[in-house]
Amino acid sequence: MTTGKITPKRESLLANIRVQRFTPGHDRSPYFDNFKLTVETGMTVLAALRKIKDDQDSSLTFRAFCRSAICGSCTVRVNGRSVLACSTQLLPILKDFGKGSVTITPMANLPILRDLVVDIDPVIDKLAKMHPYLIENPERIPQALEQESLMSQDELNSFDYLTDCILCGACYSACSSVQADPDYAGPLTFAKAYRFSIDARDNFRGIRDQAAIDQGLWSCVQCRKCIKVCPKDTRPADTIRRARKLTIDDGIQDTPGSRRAKTYVADIERFGQVNKPMLPVAVYGTKGWDAIEAAEASLTRHGMEPTRRVCTLPGQEGAARIFEKVREIEQGEKKK
Amino acid sequence: MTEPATKATSTQADRKHYAFYSGCCFQGADARFFDILQQVFDKVDVSLDLIPDAVCCGAGVIEERSELASFAINARNMAGAERMGLPFFTPCSTCFNVISNCKKRLAEDARLQDQVNEILAEEGVEYRGEVELTHTLYILAHDVGLTKLAERVTHPLHGLRVASFYGCHTRNPADIQGYESSHNPTSLEDVLQVLGAECLDYDTRNGCCGYHAAWPNAELSKTMTGSILQGAKKQDVDLMVTSCPLCFKNLDGVQPKALAAADKPFQLPVLYLPELVGLACGMSPADMKLDFHVVPVNVRL
Repeated sequence: MTTGKITPKRESLLANIRVQRFTPGHDRSPYFDNFKLTVETGMTVLAALRKIKDDQDSSLTFRAFCRSAICGSCTVRVNGRSVLACSTQLLPILKDFGKGSVTITPMANLPILRDLVVDIDPVIDKLAKMHPYLIENPERIPQALEQESLMSQDELNSFDYLTDCILCGACYSACSSVQADPDYAGPLTFAKAYRFSIDARDNFRGIRDQAAIDQGLWSCVQCRKCIKVCPKDTRPADTIRRARKLTIDDGIQDTPGSRRAKTYVADIERFGQVNKPMLPVAVYGTKGWDAIEAAEASLTRHGMEPTRRVCTLPGQEGAARIFEKVREIEQGEKKK
Repeated sequence: MTEPATKATSTQADRKHYAFYSGCCFQGADARFFDILQQVFDKVDVSLDLIPDAVCCGAGVIEERSELASFAINARNMAGAERMGLPFFTPCSTCFNVISNCKKRLAEDARLQDQVNEILAEEGVEYRGEVELTHTLYILAHDVGLTKLAERVTHPLHGLRVASFYGCHTRNPADIQGYESSHNPTSLEDVLQVLGAECLDYDTRNGCCGYHAAWPNAELSKTMTGSILQGAKKQDVDLMVTSCPLCFKNLDGVQPKALAAADKPFQLPVLYLPELVGLACGMSPADMKLDFHVVPVNVRL
């Protein structure tokens, strides 16, 4: 490399940009238009769409505003991956797929209004049910104007990373559970609720816990696609795990999901492993016996001896020590 | 079952060794998978040395009670491989995801790694963060390599129409592995093409099989499984192949229920990648224990 040069090598590639078009009520179904475009180093998806609109087809419809990855309005999918059009460059994607073409489609899991523009009202409705605002805790927020509500650095750290969320909906578009169940609230919704629930100045956590459970907190499948697409790296799927912990700690323990969590942890502490043969009863109560008997019958059919005991790798003592030590640390933190 | 420790001593120099972390689907009722894996890897000169003293990775569920506990447990698991001086290999995509996530978080946060090491110090264990993580896909496509694999194929699968399925946990998020593009991975298709099979693209290829929703929400899980299968079926494939043992469990084991719930009464054989590699390398359906499948594998290979 020569010194002093900071400009990357300029490259350009004549590419085929496939864009999904659809005007409900006018077109019978979505279809694709192909636009030839010279894609250059540094060109964003949004720049490409604007160029197409300017030079080739002024009827192409998409949403965009700030061009700075902060307004969250330009989310589309490029080769299936949800991205902010304004902060995603096209050339690396073209090179990654090596086909000389990319496919741009609107966000998934939302109704299309026209071309790349979707109706985001379903997300907003789900979000509204989660009370995504601070309800003040009088113990932390003083009445007198001259007094401040001070927060420790650790308290701030517990939700600071989530304040970066710009509600762009990339996670909602990528979400496997929303796709399978349109009533599921989606990653950003739970993340926003958690952001306020864990805030030391807030006093509405119990209501949000229940709202989250009602909107499918335990239906997240942890496919981790939301983490992959989030342009602000807020890691929604990790936050969903934290939100689940919160609901269990707050006393919502009569769900299959919370029973699974408690069983896994208790088993791993005791055996170093989950006692899988007995899991159906641990999670579903006596209803689980049918599943256990079916599993045992299938093993017998293949000439294997069914067991109801965990198979143990010899790490169990280490696991028990870790849990004991972690409990000590976490209780110490709570007292602080 | 063969004993990996004794095998390791009697091998030639170019044999590759891995510290093997079994996860829950390679033991107990599923011990056959370990057996299959060993037979297949033996063909390509790979030996698996079991990590002694391993603990369940928790499949991301420990985090729902304590993130710190999960990090400590999985740092301890990785430390096991570090002591052996071998790359850490788990064939389970979820174990891979959880442990890789742990490695990344500890690498980003020195304070957290110190805290974890303090917990482990009582046992005299230290996690240094130097271990390399790998998965069946990368051992076959990168370490063994496609050239060598091609040499071992004795029964090429020419004409076999296959729908390949990675599952989520070797792909998401993007930095969970550094072996290939997570947006456009090719390792699975590369291996399948070396075996002679034809890979078909289908619209649910990047979907999620729903395995990890099975306990908290069985209905949702079945919907997801059914949708993956229907997408592959549309391409008239002979079978599906997945590199993830948990996806295999859902796509094969739950298939009858999932398709009944969707009112789509068809059958689509699903193979776990090492099974198909084994078949192409001349092992019999009995060696690969195909009779354990819920959906019969009637395709004659």
